[in-house]
Amino acid sequence: MSEPYSSLPTPGKVSEAPLVSVRNLHKHFTVGRNLFGPKPTLRAVDGVDLDIYPGETLGLVGESGCGKSTLARTLIRLYQPTSGEMLFDGTDVAKADERALVPFRRRVQMIFQDPYASLNGRMTVRDLIAEPLEIAKIGTPESRTEKVHELLARVGLHRDHANRFAHEFSGGQRQRIGIARAIALEPDLVICDEPISALDVSVQAQVVNMLEDLQDQLGLTYLFITHDLSMVRHISDRIGVMYLGKIVELASNTDLYRRPSHPYTQALLASIPVPDPTATRPSEPMRGEIPSPMHIPTGCRFRTRCPMATELCASTEPALKDIGGGHLAACHYAGDAVTPRAA
Amino acid sequence: MSAPVLSVRDLKTSFFSQRGEVQAVRGVSFDVHPGEILGIVGESGSGKSITCMSILRLLKSTGRIMGGSANFDGQDLMALDQGDLRDIRGNKIGMIFQDPMTSLNPTLSVGEQVMETILRHRKATRAEARARAIELFELVRIPSAAERLKSYPHEFSGGMRQRVMIAIALACDPKLLIADEPTTALDVTIQRQILLLLKDLQKRLGMAVILITHDLGVIAEVTDRIVVMYGGLVMETGPVHDLFATPKHPYTQGLLASVPDLRDDTHRRLTPIPGSPPDMAHPPEGCPFTARCPHAMQQCQAALPPVFGEGQGARCWLHHPDAPKVAGVNEVAA
Ligand SMILES: Nc1ncnc2c1ncn2[C@@H]1O[C@H](COP(=O)(O)OP(=O)(O)OP(=O)(O)O)[C@@H](O)[C@H]1O
Ligand SMILES: Nc1ncnc2c1ncn2[C@@H]1O[C@H](COP(=O)(O)OP(=O)(O)OP(=O)(O)O)[C@@H](O)[C@H]1O
Ligand code: SF4
Ligand SMILES: [Mg+2]
Ligand SMILES: [Mg+2]
Repeated sequence: MSEPYSSLPTPGKVSEAPLVSVRNLHKHFTVGRNLFGPKPTLRAVDGVDLDIYPGETLGLVGESGCGKSTLARTLIRLYQPTSGEMLFDGTDVAKADERALVPFRRRVQMIFQDPYASLNGRMTVRDLIAEPLEIAKIGTPESRTEKVHELLARVGLHRDHANRFAHEFSGGQRQRIGIARAIALEPDLVICDEPISALDVSVQAQVVNMLEDLQDQLGLTYLFITHDLSMVRHISDRIGVMYLGKIVELASNTDLYRRPSHPYTQALLASIPVPDPTATRPSEPMRGEIPSPMHIPTGCRFRTRCPMATELCASTEPALKDIGGGHLAACHYAGDAVTPRAA
Repeated sequence: MSAPVLSVRDLKTSFFSQRGEVQAVRGVSFDVHPGEILGIVGESGSGKSITCMSILRLLKSTGRIMGGSANFDGQDLMALDQGDLRDIRGNKIGMIFQDPMTSLNPTLSVGEQVMETILRHRKATRAEARARAIELFELVRIPSAAERLKSYPHEFSGGMRQRVMIAIALACDPKLLIADEPTTALDVTIQRQILLLLKDLQKRLGMAVILITHDLGVIAEVTDRIVVMYGGLVMETGPVHDLFATPKHPYTQGLLASVPDLRDDTHRRLTPIPGSPPDMAHPPEGCPFTARCPHAMQQCQAALPPVFGEGQGARCWLHHPDAPKVAGVNEVAA
């Protein structure tokens, strides 16, 4: 993109400036070894353009290995981007050093997939939740305990739970503890990386309802990463679809499911198992498998699996363009009334 | 209806450790009929895998079968010795597990592993086994079958490894295939490829399948009948259409209500089941769902309900003839 901060077309209802604005973001890893040449490069995030607006829930979906977690870790500056621009509330955070990042780190928090692994089992619930406050040197030990009790109430746990250890809780309760910890500093943006994948179906709904309530009460903005295509539709205002390190489609949740415009999104949505035995389903699965992020196809990165790929797709990479009403798609033929093959 | 391929009755399995007994399976009964796909659904720890591992008699040493029977092909699997069982497993009963990487041998080529299964159970020369392996790879749609026999498991993607597992499971034309979460580790597009393949093979080969999953979407798409497990027990069983249209057990109802409706645009709030499943080291005396059930009564806490109803059976006191009427459960909602 030539003008990095020129605004992307925005969907009708949001008019504010974006909280997060990312242009042509890359995060590459060098992996393995090669005795006779440069080390091979794995392009985990490979040119992402994305805006996140205050108060919205932006869903991010895509298959395993497409770069969702790497994008999340880059967005919270756990990783230094390889290249590209990243604005948070108008401030450039892509190249900022640790000192300059202090206020940013308070305003952006993350909830992880595995509530078992992400909490230190030797710490009490009180200490786990109070830790971010201590690191940020906020309050006294007494006021922090007070705050922990308030946070426990917010996530539907009891103040008596404060003195117990994380391993004494069920998966759903541990995820609540993780959420209390994430909101302790009253962040603006919470990045949820598969927050319900490890939970039982009946417990997932408890956590999702709670995340929705907290958003209403605290005005949070969410980036919600998941591979659950039913849940993402329920929770998101807008949804981005990622394929091999890039956003290939982004639209409001209703638009995306009603008018999926990228062939990858179409195939992805057609693959969702529907919990209704009377539903009629397409009988052909999508062909092929995802190429390696070390060998991303030239031109359109989806062309090796795409049922309507042409010569243009092999030679030229399609840009993420507005096909109407803020619905973005990176396909040469997206938005066309007639696809080349169907014609 | 023809005689069941597998008939499980009152199966009970426990694990023993210093901390005491964990009652993983507490009296499970169900039938699998020829040519049908039976789905077993339920949350984590409800006893799905241990039920199947018990049927196959593949329990770890701390696990013990405490009672019950499993009739397969005229024999009670619970009464056979390990030698007889080895003849059945991988032969008349095929098995597929969630993680193909742990079930495949990393040091042997995938072709060698398919041939090994054939040679163990069939009188065949190596050349015949190899020809059969190629045929099986073509059956599960592994491209360039003959060349891929030489590949090692790590050279395959997750989806391809699961195809190899299916090829091995089908090597000896099993009457029954037991698949424990065969697509849980896979992406949706690959999951769909594997599920459609399984369903197609099941139809063409006429075998019976037990498919374990916690995904209600997968259940709805591929199974004919389902068994809903909770706390080591079968809570409800019946044809898939009936269970989704008119679930009779409060747990089944709660489970179906807690998933978002993909066709609903309204952002309707989800209806979770409150609380969490029981600890099987201390299973409740009565109905295991009592603590989370919106309709629980004194009787539910006092005694384990039996299964009420033929065809679609539900283990719930509300289906006792004397139970009070509850709209939507034992009384058709107005
Ligand atoms: N630290 C790292 N070093 C090298 N490669 C990495 C690293 N982290 C991730 N990758 C690779 O980058 C790619 C993207 O990984 P990432 O974890 O971001 O995917 P994901 O979309 O989150 O997948 P999943 O749905 O499985 O969580 C993968 O090929 C992965 O192997
Ligand atoms: N080796 C073991 N030792 C002790 N308890 C065990 C052992 N294996 C399983 N259990 C217990 O048996 C119960 C049933 O486990 P099982 O693996 O059958 O559950 P599941 O329904 O298959 O769950 P999931 O969906 O997580 O696979 C659980 O309470 C589990 O903790
Ligand atoms: S037996 Fe009682 S507690 Fe159990 S599901 Fe039925 S009504 Fe609920
Ligand atoms: Mg990830
Ligand atoms: Mg299991």
